[in-house]
Amino acid sequence: MSTETTVCTIGAYHRPATLDDALRILRDVPGARPVAGGTDLLVHVRDGREGAPPALVSLRRVPELCGVTIEDGAVTIGALTTMSDIVADAELARLLPAVHVAAADFGGVQIRNAATIGGNLVNASPCANLPPALLVHGASVVLRALGGVRTVDLRDFIVGPGETCLRDGEVLAAVTIPRPLGGLRSTFRRTVRVAMDMALVSVAAAVAMDGGTIGAVRVAAGAVAPTPRRLAEVEELLRGAVPDEGLLRRAGELAAAGVAPISDVRASESYRRHMTGVHVRRALAELTAGGVDGDA
Amino acid sequence: METREDAAVPLSFELNGETVAVRAAPAARLLDVLRGPCGRTGTKEGCGEGECGACSVLVDGRVVNACLYAALDVEGCRVTTIEGLHDGAGGPSALQRAFVTLGGTQCGFCTPGMIVAAEALLAANPDPAADDIRGALRGNLCRCTGYVQIVEAVRSAAAARRAGADAARAAAGAPS
Amino acid sequence: MSAARDAAGRTWVGRAVDRPDGADKAAGRTLYIHDITRPGMLHGKVKFSADAHARIKRIDTSRAERLPGVRAVITAENTPQIRIGFLRDNVVLKGEKVRQFRDEIAAVAAVDAATAAAAVELIDVEYEPLPGVFSPDEALAEGAPLVHETAPDGTPLTTNAMSLTFGHESGDMEAGMRAAVHVAEGTYSTPLIQQSCMGTAGCIAEFDTAGNLRIVAKTQIPFLAQRDFTRILPALGLAGRTVRVIVPALGGGFGTGLDTHPYEYISILLAWRTGRPVKIVYDRAEEFACLSPRQSSVTRVTQGCDAAGRLTFRRIDVVQDNGAYAAWGATYPSVMLLPATSLYRVPAVSFKAQLVYTNNPYCQAMRGYGNPEVTWPIESTLDDLAQAAGVDPLEMRLRNCNEPGEVTPMDLRVTTCGLRECLEKTGESLGWSEKRGRGSAPPADGARAHLRRGVGLASLIHVGGGGKIYRSDGSGIILKADDFGSVNVSYGGVEMGQGLHAALSVAVADAVGVRPENVVVNQTDTATCPWDVGTHASRGAFMACNAALLAAEKLRARIFAAAEDVYAEEVARNVAKARRRDASCEPPPPDVVAGARAADFDLRDGRLFLRERPADELTSVEFGRLLRAIHFRDAGTVFAVDAFYEPPTELPDWERGMGNLSANYAYGTQGAEVEVDTETGEVRILRMAAAHDVGRVLHPTALKGQIYGALAQGIGYALYEEVRTERGRVVNAGFTDYKIPTACEMDFPIDLHFVETNDPSGPFGAKGVGEPGLVPTAPAIANAIHDAVGVRITDLPITPERVLAALRAKRGEA
Repeated sequence: MSTETTVCTIGAYHRPATLDDALRILRDVPGARPVAGGTDLLVHVRDGREGAPPALVSLRRVPELCGVTIEDGAVTIGALTTMSDIVADAELARLLPAVHVAAADFGGVQIRNAATIGGNLVNASPCANLPPALLVHGASVVLRALGGVRTVDLRDFIVGPGETCLRDGEVLAAVTIPRPLGGLRSTFRRTVRVAMDMALVSVAAAVAMDGGTIGAVRVAAGAVAPTPRRLAEVEELLRGAVPDEGLLRRAGELAAAGVAPISDVRASESYRRHMTGVHVRRALAELTAGGVDGDA
Repeated sequence: METREDAAVPLSFELNGETVAVRAAPAARLLDVLRGPCGRTGTKEGCGEGECGACSVLVDGRVVNACLYAALDVEGCRVTTIEGLHDGAGGPSALQRAFVTLGGTQCGFCTPGMIVAAEALLAANPDPAADDIRGALRGNLCRCTGYVQIVEAVRSAAAARRAGADAARAAAGAPS
Repeated sequence: MSAARDAAGRTWVGRAVDRPDGADKAAGRTLYIHDITRPGMLHGKVKFSADAHARIKRIDTSRAERLPGVRAVITAENTPQIRIGFLRDNVVLKGEKVRQFRDEIAAVAAVDAATAAAAVELIDVEYEPLPGVFSPDEALAEGAPLVHETAPDGTPLTTNAMSLTFGHESGDMEAGMRAAVHVAEGTYSTPLIQQSCMGTAGCIAEFDTAGNLRIVAKTQIPFLAQRDFTRILPALGLAGRTVRVIVPALGGGFGTGLDTHPYEYISILLAWRTGRPVKIVYDRAEEFACLSPRQSSVTRVTQGCDAAGRLTFRRIDVVQDNGAYAAWGATYPSVMLLPATSLYRVPAVSFKAQLVYTNNPYCQAMRGYGNPEVTWPIESTLDDLAQAAGVDPLEMRLRNCNEPGEVTPMDLRVTTCGLRECLEKTGESLGWSEKRGRGSAPPADGARAHLRRGVGLASLIHVGGGGKIYRSDGSGIILKADDFGSVNVSYGGVEMGQGLHAALSVAVADAVGVRPENVVVNQTDTATCPWDVGTHASRGAFMACNAALLAAEKLRARIFAAAEDVYAEEVARNVAKARRRDASCEPPPPDVVAGARAADFDLRDGRLFLRERPADELTSVEFGRLLRAIHFRDAGTVFAVDAFYEPPTELPDWERGMGNLSANYAYGTQGAEVEVDTETGEVRILRMAAAHDVGRVLHPTALKGQIYGALAQGIGYALYEEVRTERGRVVNAGFTDYKIPTACEMDFPIDLHFVETNDPSGPFGAKGVGEPGLVPTAPAIANAIHDAVGVRITDLPITPERVLAALRAKRGEA
């Protein structure tokens, strides 16, 4: 008898080889939980934060959920794609710089080798790295159930801290990103206490310049509201404007005013608000002029 | 209450080059199976939540935290722990030698995980700069060394491995 | 490795030989408490309080007892009362009242750890909450609820102020204050800090059939633990039985092992109750919430200087939040006295420390032991004072520098002192004269206008030759020479990663005359090692190597005397062997060999030879062969010698704060160059310098490791670390939200300088160096931040939020 394991209250561990098999188990075993990298769920079950499900369904060996495909610039990332896979993909780095940076600046290498894009989205943590980066690239999620498939805009997928619009029996299968506009640049920035940390504040931005003015623009922030979110007012301000110092400063101020952070053990509400503004301004400076306001 | 034995299922994988067959429960972590039934206590539990890296092992060559990895997910996989890292003849590897000689180990509790993570780094990048090493080890906490001599040890081991590879190529008559 | 001797006659001391415990550690073969099992072993788990201050109305263990696999459930009801702690104010299992969240209420022993954990969850406790006090201010307020209503002896208490008194008054304070042309003052706070050993705490207790206790314990004080555990045996009906404490490999110590802990007694009680070995190992959350952190403190400091920048007086008042019970850490003020009275030359000093009981987690020792808490305000206000006086801060420190031979206000008798050189080296490393005071100048690159750079430094004094806070500060040692030429060392101190065994192996190698790989340091075990007070106060290598020198001298004398009888025969064998190879080989002069006396012999690198003929192979004898010849002759003998080293120190009078508690004092200076982002408040370290008076380098790799490692802890203390509590409950009990530096935070160059003052008290001239490396780090960084952006941060850690708030306050913003 092993002496170091937890008292087991998880009844079974399934390792289906196809997505349909996985979906069938999820239908047949009420309360069964799909796991991808498993990085958070196992810890939460052990420390009692989450109840033990009657069964776990490991998606690790489901081939339909793995791999990245790029067709004519449109990207589909399988839900089981790890952070390391994303970081290592040079074409992704070129097309989706913010996603590349957010995946690279994610935990340590051990975590990046296990954590998946699907897991990061389904956890719906307010401070997750990937959502802001994916939001500025207009990502959607593909949800599969036995009965069919639906595609949901990422903005509508995460509905609250730890809550998504996934229905029982449904699995996040892939993330799709439309072909980026020509000349679109994106970036991701965050505040941490030490290198190995979750974001206290994160900001992603994507800009396509139209001559001397800002053409398309998306700005998103994480850890400063119950869900990662686009900053529509900021985008509104920027669209079609000339990116001078004053504009970027106003964008930062508007961003800081527009978020709803909390105070906790990691940072205060006011610091998060302040840093949202700093990151938005610096991100835009980086994207519009190659760093008029660059930092270290 | 249900006991673990009820739910445990057979699990077989390759551990440090040997095939092992054990039983593991659905909630068992790879760490539990390695330290328990497999008797490989070199892999340490420092935090149990993926923050410290003391339990770093290689699964199919990729470094992961064994405290976050479901044991049953390694079915059929190749798992390498600190006990499986040596020079091929049971002696210390270049990394292990460098950690000892250059002060990369003090209390030693983080050392197995640190060396496993460094092994994964050198497999992917034979000539890492100091910043590459620090980045690759940021998931491995150490409270004793301040990391300085760990980084020096990894750089030194990388150089030794490159020299060894060059010598092997030269011995084989291959163009360098 | 060749074995050349240096001018001082040292072959191995000072050389970077591989540490003896290194290879197993790198191979994952070292056994920590987590890795050890015993036949029939049960797993224990503690039920901790769910309230910070409450009466216990009812404890119901029935559901836990019914859980299959549970072998014992203990509470105050069914076990003898055991009082522990520095003031005996802590009852191991609480039956009437809890005083902190981590109070131990019950415990379970079960067949595996998971069952024990499940059983603890089934114990129901009903509390009647009491109002609590969660800061010294609350605790000392009029009418505050009492944490302890009575003293351990039953005397009623009327206040939460603890009876421990530490103070110091010296010089003419009024004259010092009158003479002050400039005065700087401030109030500084330090937080609770978790020592953060990578290997958590734990033990395995078991009794033999006669009732003798054997406990494998993660401790730094095996012999004081033996004393503590022996004291409880009568309560278990085991008076007169023995206690054996065995120390496994430690996954770090940093002060956590300076006390015996409730979980150890609980493990003993469970073993006693079940008749089986019982193991308790803390998980990381328990380590954070239920092992004791470093005290938080608030220090008020005032210092004055004359027009030339010479210090005229210093006043320090410390209030320390002790938490609910007193551990050895309650005596931090004993070490605070060192910087308070003796860091730089101050003619008039006043020091007071008040310790206060609160319902916060009770605190214990951590590396530095009060010194960083007080050095941080002293060195911060010293920079303010220099600014007020218009004197460069480095120059200010040099003008007040400690010197060899001085007797300080607390009667420390300084032997050697390398502080001046430490200050100068640090200044050179930082480029002080070019960089200091430029922080406010606009940077050259307009795009980086929000960044400011600055340099700062700070110094330290610490005990370097033991630290007498117990009636003996001594260490015993046994050296045993075996038939194969190896020397086994039995030493009662603890290797916890710091390199004690590395230092011992080179010191014994040189002192006896063998090679380091032939020095075998035994596992620390009270049954086999002589008494040692404990591995703390930076005393390990200093004490162990001094004791080793005494024992080695005896061992050599005995071996050389016995060698007289066998030497001629062994040389004859050399000659015979040489002649078989070369018949013309000339034998050594017979009178030289036959007349060789003890005083003629020397031993080096495992080879006995005649002092007059050091290179002559024919007259030298391999050490193992010599020992076998002595052993196996008629009336033969073997060698095991012991020695006890008690340093020439005094137990101070704590109420007066007077006494020379150490045989020497370690000094050092650290400097930092930082870059502050004025928009985010983030501080980036660009370079650090650390110059330390180490007496003499015993083992360079281990020494560097001690300083680098302490520096990283000092950086954590300065910038990142704080155990956060809310009404006594730890809210960041794990590495997720308690941030220690990673490799990425240590990404700047560090210049180390070892100043070798060759102290006469030290083994080979060495001083203790375990703690000094984290003492001046925080004020050095804080002073650099001040140089960069002109704000004085007074609370640790210096978070970006605090820097930003200070910058806004300076600009007059809300």
